[in-house]
Amino acid sequence: MSKIGNAIHEIHHMDLIAERDQWVNAIHPLIKFVITIVYIAVVVSFYKYDILGLAGMVLYPLAGFILADLSFKDSLKRLRIVLPLVCFIGIFNPFFDRIPVEILGIRMNAGVISMITLMMKGVFTVLASYLLIATTTIEKLCYAFRLLHVPKILVTQILLTYRYITVLLEEVNRVTQAYALRAPKQKGVHFKVWGSLTGQLLLRSMDRAGVVYESMLLRGYKGSFDYIGSKAKVRPQDIVYLLFWIAIFALCRKVPILVVVGNMVGGLFV
Amino acid sequence: MSHIHIDVQNVSFGYEKGKEILKDISFHGGENDAIGLVGANGVGKSTLLKLLVGLNTEYTGSIRVEEIPVEKDMLPQIREKIGYVFQDSDSQLFMSTAYQDIAFAPRNYGFPEEEVERRVQHALEMTGITHLKDKQIFKMSGGEKKLVSIATILSMTPDIILMDEPSIALDPRNRRNLIHILNSFDHLKIIASHDLDMILETCNRTILMADGKIICDGPTKEILTDKILLEENGLELPMCMQHPVIR
Repeated sequence: MSKIGNAIHEIHHMDLIAERDQWVNAIHPLIKFVITIVYIAVVVSFYKYDILGLAGMVLYPLAGFILADLSFKDSLKRLRIVLPLVCFIGIFNPFFDRIPVEILGIRMNAGVISMITLMMKGVFTVLASYLLIATTTIEKLCYAFRLLHVPKILVTQILLTYRYITVLLEEVNRVTQAYALRAPKQKGVHFKVWGSLTGQLLLRSMDRAGVVYESMLLRGYKGSFDYIGSKAKVRPQDIVYLLFWIAIFALCRKVPILVVVGNMVGGLFV
Repeated sequence: MSHIHIDVQNVSFGYEKGKEILKDISFHGGENDAIGLVGANGVGKSTLLKLLVGLNTEYTGSIRVEEIPVEKDMLPQIREKIGYVFQDSDSQLFMSTAYQDIAFAPRNYGFPEEEVERRVQHALEMTGITHLKDKQIFKMSGGEKKLVSIATILSMTPDIILMDEPSIALDPRNRRNLIHILNSFDHLKIIASHDLDMILETCNRTILMADGKIICDGPTKEILTDKILLEENGLELPMCMQHPVIR
């Protein structure tokens, strides 16, 4: 499959897993959104050398992936472009921060610790965001935004941009396939046709988007989406889910939970 | 005059000044009319359908849907009465699943969710696609998409149905299914198509267009069996009336 074909497939696949009949998928979108935001805020709030405390925060993505029955391998594959970028952020810390520290009996530069902490923060926040979009459809997410009083126009913009991405990609796919079939020995598109190809693409996409919009108008669209339809109410189990995770995050923030668990388990064998 | 009707009087329209696509079009469609709109490529069939739902309002003449003039201010009322099925189902379906797409219109019209669900279920049953309810649109075949497109307008319970090339890209079984669905819809319908065999089976009246004008308006059986008239206007007899040539 071509790169663009792959991209279209990925978008459709994300739609598919977000709509699965899983327990986590059924949780109210607002609750999942709030948990994700709180999680990210707690993760980034850890001190740059508090690697052991931060390590406890792995519990949420870990539990989330298990509960939502998401493949960790597939997810890493999908995040292969973002994760290296996130990891790259702290790469120079070891050169600037040379204070020697000892952690779990190992002596190293404080810069190495802060680099690893920064990488962990990046990876955790990306995984939490991925967990959110893999268990919540774009319509439900937009519904959550509306409940948080995000302006209607902005939310509609987000929703339609998401919907139109595939329209644009499909047009790009068609044009490039037609080109490749008549230029079999070329790699990519020759620069001489970039102008006309891009122009065609723009016109076609606008045309297609115009028809989609007409179709919406004809079915009563008045500028605002009914994002979820069912207008799902927050259920008691959703509240319990929210409180449970907030409590876990608070606990992780206060005590290095992995160290405590490790000591407890280790104590059993002494 | 019956309650459900469309009245088109002396309508002319062009996208550019001086280049008219539709020229002095007049016809009246009543409650039980099933009108086939036929003509060669580019004669203005799709443009005429778009005018009827107000997708273009810069026309001259008069178009009235159930006595409501097709003007910018009246479009929400008119569009509640008319269901329009696009030629390209991919453009018509923009939500992720069949249910979401079919529920789009009733939700926009503010129906409570129980009523939305009832309407979606009814539309799915009418089109015989209850099994596709939660299927992702991108996973559907061309035939399935077309049936979902039809269901999206049936959930609006329109008085009038307009269809632009509904049988295009359908296999024989899906095409037969479509004909059954069209025949089960009693209200006014206008179908623009090159599939003259389908028009023969679904429409009691045919409007033949050429060069932006109405050439002939009358019973389908008379128009679609008139070989000379059809050939003069860039068409042929329906396949069922031609002698098959087997090589």
